[in-house]
Amino acid sequence: MLKEFTKGIFRENPIFIIVLGLCPALGVSTKVINAIGMGAGVIFVLLGSNIFVSLLKNFIPEKVRIPSYIVIIASFVTIVQMVMEAFAPALYKSLGVFVPLIVVNCIILGRAEAFANKNTVMSSIMDALGMGVGFTLALLLIAFIRESLGAGTITLFPVGSFSGVIRIPVLADNPIRVFGLAAGALLVIGFLKAFFNWYSERRAR
Amino acid sequence: MNDILRIGSKLALICAVAAISLGLVNAVTEPKINQMREQKLMNALKQVAVGMEVGKYKKVADNPVVKGYYPLRDNSGKQKGYIFDLVGMGYGGDLDIIAGVSTKGKILSVVMMNDQETPGLGKEAENPEYMKKYIGTGEISPVPVRKSQLSQEEADAITGASITFMGIGKALEAASDFAKKEGVE
Amino acid sequence: MTYIGIIITFVFINNFILTQFLGLCPFIGVSKNIESAVGMGFAVTFVMALASLATWAIQNFILVPLNIEFLQTITFILVIASLVQFVELVIQNISPALYKALGIYLPLITTNCAVLGIAIISVQSKFNALESFVAGFAAGLGFLLAILLMSAIRTKLDSEWIPKPFRGIPIAFITGGLMALAFMAFDKALLTNLIG
Repeated sequence: MLKEFTKGIFRENPIFIIVLGLCPALGVSTKVINAIGMGAGVIFVLLGSNIFVSLLKNFIPEKVRIPSYIVIIASFVTIVQMVMEAFAPALYKSLGVFVPLIVVNCIILGRAEAFANKNTVMSSIMDALGMGVGFTLALLLIAFIRESLGAGTITLFPVGSFSGVIRIPVLADNPIRVFGLAAGALLVIGFLKAFFNWYSERRAR
Repeated sequence: MNDILRIGSKLALICAVAAISLGLVNAVTEPKINQMREQKLMNALKQVAVGMEVGKYKKVADNPVVKGYYPLRDNSGKQKGYIFDLVGMGYGGDLDIIAGVSTKGKILSVVMMNDQETPGLGKEAENPEYMKKYIGTGEISPVPVRKSQLSQEEADAITGASITFMGIGKALEAASDFAKKEGVE
Repeated sequence: MTYIGIIITFVFINNFILTQFLGLCPFIGVSKNIESAVGMGFAVTFVMALASLATWAIQNFILVPLNIEFLQTITFILVIASLVQFVELVIQNISPALYKALGIYLPLITTNCAVLGIAIISVQSKFNALESFVAGFAAGLGFLLAILLMSAIRTKLDSEWIPKPFRGIPIAFITGGLMALAFMAFDKALLTNLIG
């Protein structure tokens, strides 16, 4: 059971190993807080869709399974949209079009099709959590690199008198702007993927 | 045939359940979202009104930039200016701007309500400090719409985001002209 | 915005892949050779133009009048999925040759972020019917341009020596990053200078 959880974090990490769900990973990773918000949204949708798909696996007719999965996923995405807009409007605004686009995040439909419709509810939950957390960690890593180098800051939640923004001394005054832009995102993920390739190969040896 | 009917009704059932549950969630969140939006607008209006009384919203139909305005009155009820509801052209899309302008066309205050600008560059316009370069212009000195009209320091600060700067400037210029032409409504 | 403005914006300035990060999975996955890149590019362009128009109609004739805009995501994705199926059927019947060329890419398009992306962006930009169609078509062309350039570069890369960990996907990303850097030359100032 635990294996279903841990596999998503490293060995089958959705971003770095399977290379799925890239659009949001790059689109929202300009700030650490965006990565946290996006990760939470994806975990919620993944959990919801995995639970319902595995519960309904005998009810959903084989022929219309993909439309059914899409309806289930889209419902959870809409819930995330509505709740986020109501309770975290600033975050909702900065994630923009990528919130509704969780629907077409290949990870979610992929897990429904490849895992949840053949497994029990419990292992589907573990699978969803593992994949979701793996996705979030990958997003956090990319966002951390991009924000700290590209803007010289790390943006978290504002708590009390703490504004939520940590400024990194030298970098904040001389940020390497390209990391915040589209080009930087692609370069960062390219080098990270190369690192993961190198590391997995070394471990295999 | 029977099979198609069975599959179709199952799919329809899933859709119906989904739509109903979304409707329920929407019923909870929608008032909250509207309330937050209204709150945001009220806060912005209060900030822009600088202590004056805000009148009733009037739509403007034939202006590409000025969507509408609220008249601004002092305690005695005399009109001193306008709060304009403006839409400018930014780098990433429309800029929704709220600005207080005197009847003589002087920019009194500016708040960015909504934008899709680049974080770290154009997004800086959400910062109240950013708007200082426009305030006080419009009556005697022109509203800055080009970098050459700024001080060296201000021009440096908007490097890489001049489209945002020009978009806001042009919207405010239109507002200032509108106020000058209209005078007291 | 004028129609030329929309085209320049969506093909170059806001290129879906290289500036907006929409449609990255096929950009990396289907760009190994030029032939399949072109097939995917045309299929996506076709579906995006139609999807943008269809979702415009759904938004303005169904969702807004009935005041159920909160069902936007769910209806749009279902419309796109059915549209893709429909296009597949039509192409299969009228042109088996075209079906042979595009057929295998069509099912993949439903989950391409770019298609749902253009539908949502068109609605947010308050485009009219023709503008939505043009925006969808232009965004599709931008996708075609990027994936075509990418596949041409990757074909060349095949004959170069690349450090082992960088082979395949990582070098594709880095190439994409450098392309995005080049595309930064197309900015809004260019548009303002071109058409005022």
